[in-house]
Amino acid sequence: MQELLRFEDVSYAYELGRDALRGLTVSVAAGERVAVLGSNGAGKSTFFLLAGGVLSPRAGQVVFEGVPVRRAADLNRLRRGVGLVFQDPDVQLLAGTVEQEVSFGPMNLRLPENEVARRVDEALAAFELTEYRHRAPQYLSGGEKKRVTLADVLAMKPRLLLLDEPAASLDPAHARQLEGHLARLHEQGLALVVATHDVDFAWRWARRVLLFRGGQLAADGAPETIFADRALLAACGLEQPVLFRAGRALGLNPLPRTVEQLEQAVRPKGDRE
Amino acid sequence: MRRIPKPEPMSLLAGALAALVGASLLAGSLPRPWTAGLSLALGLALALGGHSHGAAACIDRLAHTSRWAGLNAGLKTTGCCVLLMLTLCCRTPWPPLGLFVYTALLCMAGGVGVRRYLGLLALPAAFLLLSAAALLWHWAPAPGGLASVPFLGGWLVLDAAGQATARLVVARALGALGCLYWLSLSTPLPEVLEVLRRVHVPGPVLDLAVLIYRYIFVMLDTAARMRVSAASRLGYEGAGCGLRTTGLVYANLLGRSFGRARVCQQAMESRGWEGDIRFLVRKKPVRAAHLIPFAAPAAVMLLALCLGG
Repeated sequence: MQELLRFEDVSYAYELGRDALRGLTVSVAAGERVAVLGSNGAGKSTFFLLAGGVLSPRAGQVVFEGVPVRRAADLNRLRRGVGLVFQDPDVQLLAGTVEQEVSFGPMNLRLPENEVARRVDEALAAFELTEYRHRAPQYLSGGEKKRVTLADVLAMKPRLLLLDEPAASLDPAHARQLEGHLARLHEQGLALVVATHDVDFAWRWARRVLLFRGGQLAADGAPETIFADRALLAACGLEQPVLFRAGRALGLNPLPRTVEQLEQAVRPKGDRE
Repeated sequence: MRRIPKPEPMSLLAGALAALVGASLLAGSLPRPWTAGLSLALGLALALGGHSHGAAACIDRLAHTSRWAGLNAGLKTTGCCVLLMLTLCCRTPWPPLGLFVYTALLCMAGGVGVRRYLGLLALPAAFLLLSAAALLWHWAPAPGGLASVPFLGGWLVLDAAGQATARLVVARALGALGCLYWLSLSTPLPEVLEVLRRVHVPGPVLDLAVLIYRYIFVMLDTAARMRVSAASRLGYEGAGCGLRTTGLVYANLLGRSFGRARVCQQAMESRGWEGDIRFLVRKKPVRAAHLIPFAAPAAVMLLALCLGG
């Protein structure tokens, strides 16, 4: 798989004396589905801001598509290639209407106006927002705002998408809808990195887990390996996913990732009884 | 739970002032019962219309849902500016008053309720009424004119000259207000800003306006949530406590605004912002029929001006 983004021994501090991120070395390849776990203040958001080109490392370097980010032109390329969706939609939403909001990124890419219009139409259609195009963001619900922020970033056609706790403050129906959108984006070949506190979601969705603790990468591996290490999870203030535990208790192999898989795995036994 | 609205002291005061100014403006030109009736009606309309809370959010919502929102914003802005100029050129009160009524009717046709419109008028009305009262009544050592009231060893006198000036000033102010209200109640602010951009108002000014416009609503929302949370902990029981809580809420809001400003800038940078804020603007074509709401009153006012109005 082609490598998209690589962190080489990257450190960052918001204030002197306390590193928010320390000696991080990690890489993300095209088309990956990665969950970033860790308690508050573990360094997840700092990792995202560095990866999105908003912050610059105090030490170490960020490499995007094989080129180290050093000059303003590299930074520009990084920001084009990596889309960042913030946790709180209200910090991201800027314009007076949904259509203008989605056009902000493409306009910054200095694309011709007809291309901007085409991308805006596409992004609005992809997130079922076409009928909201003339609405002001202040009159949208939480779920609708979240969809607008996704359309915002997708209209810039990034190769890697970073989502900071996307399901926070969404009701279950909207959270399910969001997972549907994530699945579609993955099918389109986008690499997705999602910061979350929800271990059940991480187990269901991710194919790789990055575990942060105290500004360092505590573990990087397949969900099966990471979630099997109870001591590590406890040290990071996390628990094992429910389906992971249930699957193990029932001695299932492979372990079920969804309730449907669990039902399917236990049904024949139920029939025999 | 919503409380039943009570008549507010501010609205009652504005109503009383409106009745007084109305009576002074009409004194001597209509039979007394008519003057009294009309003044009372004006006072009641203002007192019951009340002043409106959350005017910014209210104007914005009305502008977005107005039936006139589909019209080209450049046309609306230009039309309103022309009508505003004509209003200021008028030498008699009737054309501006006519324009005020016309624009108010247009607003209502666009979906603004009568009560809401009166509520929104109440704030500028207070300034207008106070200025009118000062123009109408002046202090003199002896009684005279149309009416006089003893005051501080002399007399407050209402005379014909003051009345004529006040009538013209009030009429022009109402006409201008009508134009501005029509524009702002039918055109979402982002569209007005786009018109300003096209006439080369400096970019940084407009970028600031865009950000202020957006964050007004974010801050109003945060403030509302903080107020509800404070109220749930009995933060507004009693005047002293209420004042203290209000202070705390606003101080907290300031702190949060700084924190939020930093994150918002990060969000903009991550989307490739490099110093100027630009959005896609779709053209709203101007059709001949769209000109009528502006051309018709402008023609009438021009005619009135030529006839000495």
